[in-house]
Amino acid sequence: MPDPTGHVTIRTTTTEGENMFTSTFGNRLRTIGAALVAATVLTACGGGATQADRSPNDGARNDVVVAIATEPEGGFDPTVGWGHGTTPLIQSTLVEYTQDMRIVNDLATDQRISDDGLTWRFTLRDDASFTDGKPVTAHDVEFTFTTAKAKASSLDLTFMTGCKATSDREVEFTLAKPNSSFLNTIATIGIVPKHAYGKDYANNPIGSGPWKFVQWKKGEQVTLAANDSYYGTKPSLDKVTLVFMDEDAAFAAAKARQVDVALTSATQATQDITGMRLEVVSTLDNRGLTLPVSPSQGKLSKSGEPVGNDVTSNLAIRQALAFAVNRDQIAKDAVNGFAAPAFSENDGMPWNNPEVKITEDVAHATSVLTADGWKDTDGDGILDKNGVKAEFTLLYSSGDSVRQAIAMAVAQQVKSLGIRINVEGAGWDQIVKRMFVDAVLMGWGSTNPYTSYLLFHSSNALKDDFYNPQGFSNPVVDQHLETALHATSPEEANVAWRLAQWDDTTGTSMRAEIPWVWLVNLQHLYYVADGLDIGQQQLHGHGASWTLLQNLRDWSWR
Amino acid sequence: MSTATRIGSLVGRFTLRMVTLLLAASVVAFVLVSLSPIDPVQQYVLSSGGGASQEQRDALAEYWGLSEPPVQQYLHWLGAVLQGNLGDSMLYRQPVATIIAERFLNTLALMAASWLLAGLIGYGLGCLMGIRRDRPVDRVLKRVCLVLASVPTYWLGIVFLLVFAVQLAWFPVGFSSPIGMADHDVSLWQRLHHLVLPALTLSFISFANVALHTRQKMVDVLESDFVLFARARGDGTGTILRRHGLRNTLLPAVTLQFASFGELFGGSILAESVFSYPGLGAAVSAAGLNSDVPLLLGITLFSTLFVFTGNQTANLVYTIVDPRIRQEALHG
Repeated sequence: MPDPTGHVTIRTTTTEGENMFTSTFGNRLRTIGAALVAATVLTACGGGATQADRSPNDGARNDVVVAIATEPEGGFDPTVGWGHGTTPLIQSTLVEYTQDMRIVNDLATDQRISDDGLTWRFTLRDDASFTDGKPVTAHDVEFTFTTAKAKASSLDLTFMTGCKATSDREVEFTLAKPNSSFLNTIATIGIVPKHAYGKDYANNPIGSGPWKFVQWKKGEQVTLAANDSYYGTKPSLDKVTLVFMDEDAAFAAAKARQVDVALTSATQATQDITGMRLEVVSTLDNRGLTLPVSPSQGKLSKSGEPVGNDVTSNLAIRQALAFAVNRDQIAKDAVNGFAAPAFSENDGMPWNNPEVKITEDVAHATSVLTADGWKDTDGDGILDKNGVKAEFTLLYSSGDSVRQAIAMAVAQQVKSLGIRINVEGAGWDQIVKRMFVDAVLMGWGSTNPYTSYLLFHSSNALKDDFYNPQGFSNPVVDQHLETALHATSPEEANVAWRLAQWDDTTGTSMRAEIPWVWLVNLQHLYYVADGLDIGQQQLHGHGASWTLLQNLRDWSWR
Repeated sequence: MSTATRIGSLVGRFTLRMVTLLLAASVVAFVLVSLSPIDPVQQYVLSSGGGASQEQRDALAEYWGLSEPPVQQYLHWLGAVLQGNLGDSMLYRQPVATIIAERFLNTLALMAASWLLAGLIGYGLGCLMGIRRDRPVDRVLKRVCLVLASVPTYWLGIVFLLVFAVQLAWFPVGFSSPIGMADHDVSLWQRLHHLVLPALTLSFISFANVALHTRQKMVDVLESDFVLFARARGDGTGTILRRHGLRNTLLPAVTLQFASFGELFGGSILAESVFSYPGLGAAVSAAGLNSDVPLLLGITLFSTLFVFTGNQTANLVYTIVDPRIRQEALHG
């Protein structure tokens, strides 16, 4: 059987995704920085900035400056990954996400999928043109997808066997296997102009999206202007400048009123900035515990590391953990309350099963443990059963203070149950070797349902890619996941995605097999200038930078 | 031997030293980055999407030449460098030489400004302290220097940022030019305005060093027998400083200044990060954290060359300032 990861692209990122190693270094700097800033701000608070560069209330402003953290180093070429996971802004896509995560036509006016799910035909609108005046045709679509497939990048189109323009307005995709999440992939690949695509395209892109590229000063800022010839609803703002700064610098810039929007963190967000408000955006940027589901039996992972844990492989232990943790308390302890309880990998998405939600119940947790035969026989405060103590190690990536705080809070909360969790920080290079035997504080946050397939399908278990270190595998779940992936309509797929989580007897959720104890969805936090409306935000995936800008054309000054 | 042969052998030695140094630096950097636990493919895939298949990963590794054994990779890289090709950055998808050229101008402006500032302030204060030895001025300045020598760059940067950019709003909070302004509209004055805080921050890491060394040398000179003799002859302080002080105290200052190229490079990474300043520092940390081998090696070579040039310049300047060393260099 071919490798299933070959059949799709994920819209958006993983937790371990966004520069996992940068975060170690960055966070350390940031922690030190935050402490220093806090200390120095006390002295600096007196007067407030006198020279307000950007006064929001003059009514005449039609531009916005946004401070975000991640620069697209590779440039603005959708064929090598630009916009992938969010929206390409400068280019437009065949289909696009709505605010409630449904997929609707954008450049396409019509789509037909053959009954076997292998051929997808799209008809293009005839009023779309690139900013150089040339029309967007099916040949540009063909060029975009064949170029993207040929170039080695994170954009994975290995499941797509062909893309051909059958006329100026018609394009036809052929797939090796039916793949319902192909639509999610298409929704994030911007169409590039065949006639104006060259070596320097990434640095000087032309597109048919709502925004026109003006200037990119590397390491510093990108300027976009509203595209007057855009076929859709034109942006309300004329000009948007995106500046790349880390959170401390962005905080300083916001205080000095040199930016209108600044990405911030849970530690900083408790401070007020005059003239700005805090916007809290819900996400599926989740954190939870991965718990190895098989006992240690000398099995090895795909890369030869030991597999299995005699404590976490016990279902009663996993159930007790799932029901005993107080998720609101974790949010308070770890991130100043800037998180919501999480119950699955995709809370709030159309393919989420609402029944995965469970209610905290410590008494239930205790009775499950007792019924399974866990007792504290030697009076050391830790339960045991057949000589095995209810004790395991929980790893978190050292340097990530949020993960550390969440891990400590969980360990503290389950202590009274008689379960002892030894929290230990480790680098990702260590975690990748130890995650098959130890619990890990991990997280995902993807707006593509295919993530569920990677997380739970048995063919993807025990690989080094962080998706399924637990070794979870369940034939019934596999069946649901395959049905979902091979469905020919999103509705049909969503039903099957939900069944994989809970089908009234089994599933991946905390009502059934519990390979994950989900804890919280972290909220994304931004300082926004008073008077600036940033529209209705979609549920954010993992990254906090570009996801904010997905609805940039809806932003306006009041 | 004639002077021409002497100079020829000097140049030969210089070149040999430079080439071996560059080779050694590139080998060490390559070994270090090979030992790094960061898998560039995994890092790239995760940071930009997270869902690439094994086939896709293999294709990436092939594209970047990572499927070869390390020694082979290094030799390939070295071969290309000898032909003048530094390779392509994985992260930026651009030739390494282009990135260095783009970024270095910014970093150079920053380093040059702070280097000059540090040298002038450091030498001036050092002389002042030496002349006013053990007086209140000296004691206060000495403490200031000691404190500054132990302050981390980025901390100082953050303080400057909060006081001068946020609180007083005299300077911008970062970048090399105004936000949202087209490049061709940016005036020289605006560029300098953006340079002040980072350059000041960076200069503060080395001026204390220069000042303290200069002070000590000045004290030594002023206590020497020849100064005593000059005084006995009736020379005033000004004359003594001009005739004896400057030349003698310049030597340690010059050495330190040129030898500080390495520190400047290191410090610029931190200063650039605090002030969101787009220089080589930002590129080198991105390269390291993503295991972008060609970019990392390219910048390593470049910075080694830069620091080496700095140190060799110090040697040359010696011979100009101090005739004794000139004699040694030519006849020794």
